[in-house]
Amino acid sequence: MSRFLALALIAIPLAAQTAKPAAAKSAKGYTAPKTAWGDPDLQGQWPATANIPMQRPANLGERSTLTPEELKQRQSQAAQAAEGDGEEFASSETAVSINPPGYWVERGKPHAQASLVVDPPNGRIPPLTPEGQAYAKSLRNGLGPGSHFPEKVDTYEDFDFYSRCITRGLVSSMLPTLYNFGNEIVQAPGVVVIRNEMIHETRVIPLDGRPHVGKALKTYIGDSRGHWEGDTLVVETTNLNNKTGTGGGFFSDAAVLTEKFRRIAKDELSYDLTVNDPKTWTKPFTIHMPYKEDPNYKIYEYACHEGNYMMIDSLTGARALEKEGVQVKVDNNNFVRKAGEAPKK
Amino acid sequence: MKKTLWAVSICAGLLLAASAPAWAHHAFQAEFDQRKPVKLEGKVTDMEWINPHAWIHIDVKNPDGTVTNWMVECGSPNIMLRRGFTKRSLEVGSDIVVQGYQAKNGTMRANGSSVTFSDGKKLFVGGSNPDDPNGGKQ
Repeated sequence: MSRFLALALIAIPLAAQTAKPAAAKSAKGYTAPKTAWGDPDLQGQWPATANIPMQRPANLGERSTLTPEELKQRQSQAAQAAEGDGEEFASSETAVSINPPGYWVERGKPHAQASLVVDPPNGRIPPLTPEGQAYAKSLRNGLGPGSHFPEKVDTYEDFDFYSRCITRGLVSSMLPTLYNFGNEIVQAPGVVVIRNEMIHETRVIPLDGRPHVGKALKTYIGDSRGHWEGDTLVVETTNLNNKTGTGGGFFSDAAVLTEKFRRIAKDELSYDLTVNDPKTWTKPFTIHMPYKEDPNYKIYEYACHEGNYMMIDSLTGARALEKEGVQVKVDNNNFVRKAGEAPKK
Repeated sequence: MKKTLWAVSICAGLLLAASAPAWAHHAFQAEFDQRKPVKLEGKVTDMEWINPHAWIHIDVKNPDGTVTNWMVECGSPNIMLRRGFTKRSLEVGSDIVVQGYQAKNGTMRANGSSVTFSDGKKLFVGGSNPDDPNGGKQ
């Protein structure tokens, strides 16, 4: 269960008025700055520090904004977590979990936006098409995609691409995660560069109107092309391979991702990402992320594969346990079970 | 049944909010053996500032007088730096106490679910706390 899902479940929403998702508007009287060569200037450090769940809890319905009470509740939970993280001494009485301590993660700041998904109006990623479902199910000979908590540890492919230090995919790379929230935008004449700290992605986006690369070329982050519409940078990405996606779906060869970046105040960047992939999802959906500039933020190199001993330890560990007659299932609730034993319900 | 489990998880989440365990970028349940909890007291011999997680090496004296060098998996170097932990925060020779679980493959590796100095003071807390909603640099 992701931290964001956990947060969404913990939040106890109260009845409140329905608010429509507001299109990002510039602050009154604000004029976005220009670069020396005349492009709107989006450069800076834009860490994804707003803590917003990906999908909206169903009981919020079409309400896109939390009530002040609901926000207060999220803030008080965050404050409580930060307090625990900041305790100077560890209690000797507490049983130690196998999970890392809370202070290993950055928790972000609770935000009144009810979900990152803003369209469809219910804030939920639309259902997969039958084709999208069939593809996801076909992976690993019918077991489905590799996972953070795989049901078996026979090969590196039992783990997801994030655990394997390969990529989080374009959608996730732009969004909040456990730590390493950094996103940096750098511009030069004819090009915008977007760098994501988690996990070490850099997109170099040409603005000169050149066409996408040939259809046969597919990559994890795809092929991005940008242009300006007024002060908005519009980036279209195609040529995504079928190994990444979001919300359980994987991009098909029909996937087109459209991102819109606009500086709406000195320290605010509005970001919208629309996923249009009719082969995988029954309808397009849009994610909105409000970035706040933090000029002091430092992106550190996250060369994730450098010391990812997890893979070799997990594979050799699983073989060692097999010799003891224990079948490995990586599950946060049911850690191991004896060979032949059914998983606990 | 499923609903009941969810409800239990939610209550647990509320009760443990202050000390709720976090996920790492990979599952520790895959690497370490929940059946083999360890408490290691030893002297730091090295600290590797590597990605995705840092590793502390410690010499642990065994009951028979021999010494075993253990490797302890810690948080991401990036967040440790952001929390004010630097290369100088943990000197070689420091006495630390680690509580965690040994690697499933039987090597002398453990996860540092709790890593403290011998007086119980946490290693990675202090300095700026970027998550503090009431302050910090954000």
